[in-house]
Amino acid sequence: MAQTNLYYEERSPAPLEMVWLEFKSKPLAMAALYMLLFISVLTLIGPLLTPYGANEQFIDAISLPPAWSESGNIRFLLGTDELGRDMVTRIIYGARYSFGLPILVVLISATIGIALGAAAAMTVGVKSSTLKHLLDVLMSIPSLLLALIIVAILGPGLNNALIAIGLVLIPQFLHVTRNAVHDEQKRAYVTASKLNGVSQFYLLSHVIFPNIIKVLVVQFTIGLSVAILDIAALGFLRLGAQAPTPEWGSMLAQSLEVAYVSPWIMALPGLALFLTLVSVNLVGETLRVAINRQLER
Amino acid sequence: MSRYLLRQLSLLLVTLWLLTLLAFSLGHWFSGDFITNTSGIFPEDIRFAETAEARAAEAGIVNQYTAYLGHLFRGDWGLSLLDGEPVFEQIALRFGATLEIALIAFVIAIVLGIPLGVLAALYFRKAVDHTILTISLSGYSIPVFWFAQIAILIIAIQWGLVPIAGQINPLYEITPRSGSIILDILLEQPEHMTEALHSAFLHMILPVCILAIMPMMLIIRLMRNSMLDVLSQNYITSGYAKGLSIARVLWNHALPNAMQHVMRQIGALISLLITNTMIIEVIFSWPGLGSWLVRSIYERDYPVIQGGLLVISAVILLITIALNIFHAWRYPQVRKDLYGAN
Repeated sequence: MAQTNLYYEERSPAPLEMVWLEFKSKPLAMAALYMLLFISVLTLIGPLLTPYGANEQFIDAISLPPAWSESGNIRFLLGTDELGRDMVTRIIYGARYSFGLPILVVLISATIGIALGAAAAMTVGVKSSTLKHLLDVLMSIPSLLLALIIVAILGPGLNNALIAIGLVLIPQFLHVTRNAVHDEQKRAYVTASKLNGVSQFYLLSHVIFPNIIKVLVVQFTIGLSVAILDIAALGFLRLGAQAPTPEWGSMLAQSLEVAYVSPWIMALPGLALFLTLVSVNLVGETLRVAINRQLER
Repeated sequence: MSRYLLRQLSLLLVTLWLLTLLAFSLGHWFSGDFITNTSGIFPEDIRFAETAEARAAEAGIVNQYTAYLGHLFRGDWGLSLLDGEPVFEQIALRFGATLEIALIAFVIAIVLGIPLGVLAALYFRKAVDHTILTISLSGYSIPVFWFAQIAILIIAIQWGLVPIAGQINPLYEITPRSGSIILDILLEQPEHMTEALHSAFLHMILPVCILAIMPMMLIIRLMRNSMLDVLSQNYITSGYAKGLSIARVLWNHALPNAMQHVMRQIGALISLLITNTMIIEVIFSWPGLGSWLVRSIYERDYPVIQGGLLVISAVILLITIALNIFHAWRYPQVRKDLYGAN
């Protein structure tokens, strides 16, 4: 039965629905969202899809171009690298290192940073603006440089690079959470809850937190984009993931010697990285716009 | 204002002090001997005993720190473990090279980015705006190390327009004085100066252009958003109502106000630029601080790591504080915010 409205009714969509509507109104943002979903699926079940192992070598197929060129072979859709390893396989495996691991790292540092930031904002500790300014200035040091410092202390390697990026991201989450909670505490609804006599923990988890989650989500996408780029950059500088690991950054670094003879070895991992970064940034940007629009209402 | 100035300067001092503390602690945290790590002199060296004496190896950690500070201010930053070059002089040389490409890239980014951002804002939600915005968002996401490789492959190798790496053709004998290649050529006054300048220019064009792209994309987006805010203000409408020309309204009323938001983000822009400069230097074998630092980390050249980190971080801190002060001086409403209603 068709629904008929007798009365004029203004129906405002729920916040999440509004974000969805914003996405649906932009084809590019939708494409980015599907792209992210696709990469996530590859990250989760990638090794089940690939015909070969990541470091499996084919002596008879060294530096084969992609299948559509004349000397290509359909067994290796995107060709093979200079050691006869299948490019498709390596790129799919690489999604775990270049997309899966950054997500885990950002999740961990977000958890720590948000917890510390909330604690810092809720307790009446050192509230001096000096400390805040000090943090502001120290945070102006770029994340890759900080990661370089930490890698310099710990030594090169994928694990150390991950630890470095994680440590670098914690203060950013701390800062954002602290400021967001601080801003919310001046609002009338928080005062009302306080007058109701709720406990500090309830105030944080049930009153303030639902209202700052959107800021944190946007910060999460920013952090993710930074983590993906920095881990790949460390890999590229040969300070992160080491040689046989199919991490996109270190694959790029290894391809430099053969870039002229077989450019696809260099182009493909970079393209994968680029698509991932564009998708993350586009989704983040759309989320930011959608949330700002909600705040304007 | 003077209160704010004092506060910022003391902040600068405190952060710089923390930085020296960090650099000093690195000497202890790295594996190996503390004296070797900070001075670059191996225990087998005959100078080791007197260096250990000068750097207070046996004394307590406070004395060591004082000795370290003393060496720092005297410009004795130790020797590179790799090639025995004095770190401080190397830094002075390489700093010029880094500054050269970073500065030129920054200027290009500003000069091209601001008009494009304004253009996008003027054609809000039209084809021009969408094109500029899409390009800027995807340009912002290109990993700079990949983009540089593609550019080398196509422009330098396929088309053969520019050289792949280095500062200048080694045929020209230019003794490095300031590190910046153009300045060096002008100081040296070689026989074929125009040709040398031409060669230096060709070597520079690719790294600088690639370096300029990411900050430029960021400026476009910032400029567009802040320009949109400003253009919807009443004073713009009243400007048009007075009968001012479009150029006049934009140049005298909209731009100065829109720049304020962009200025606030310039710090983030510069940190992005410095990160990319380090990567670009590695790719183009540019003899700057960044490539040197990355190599030193890879080779575990501890004195170089300490010196390089100290200089790069100190420069970033200086720029940040300078920007803060400039911002407070140029825009009084920021100052009002800082002193607050409390």
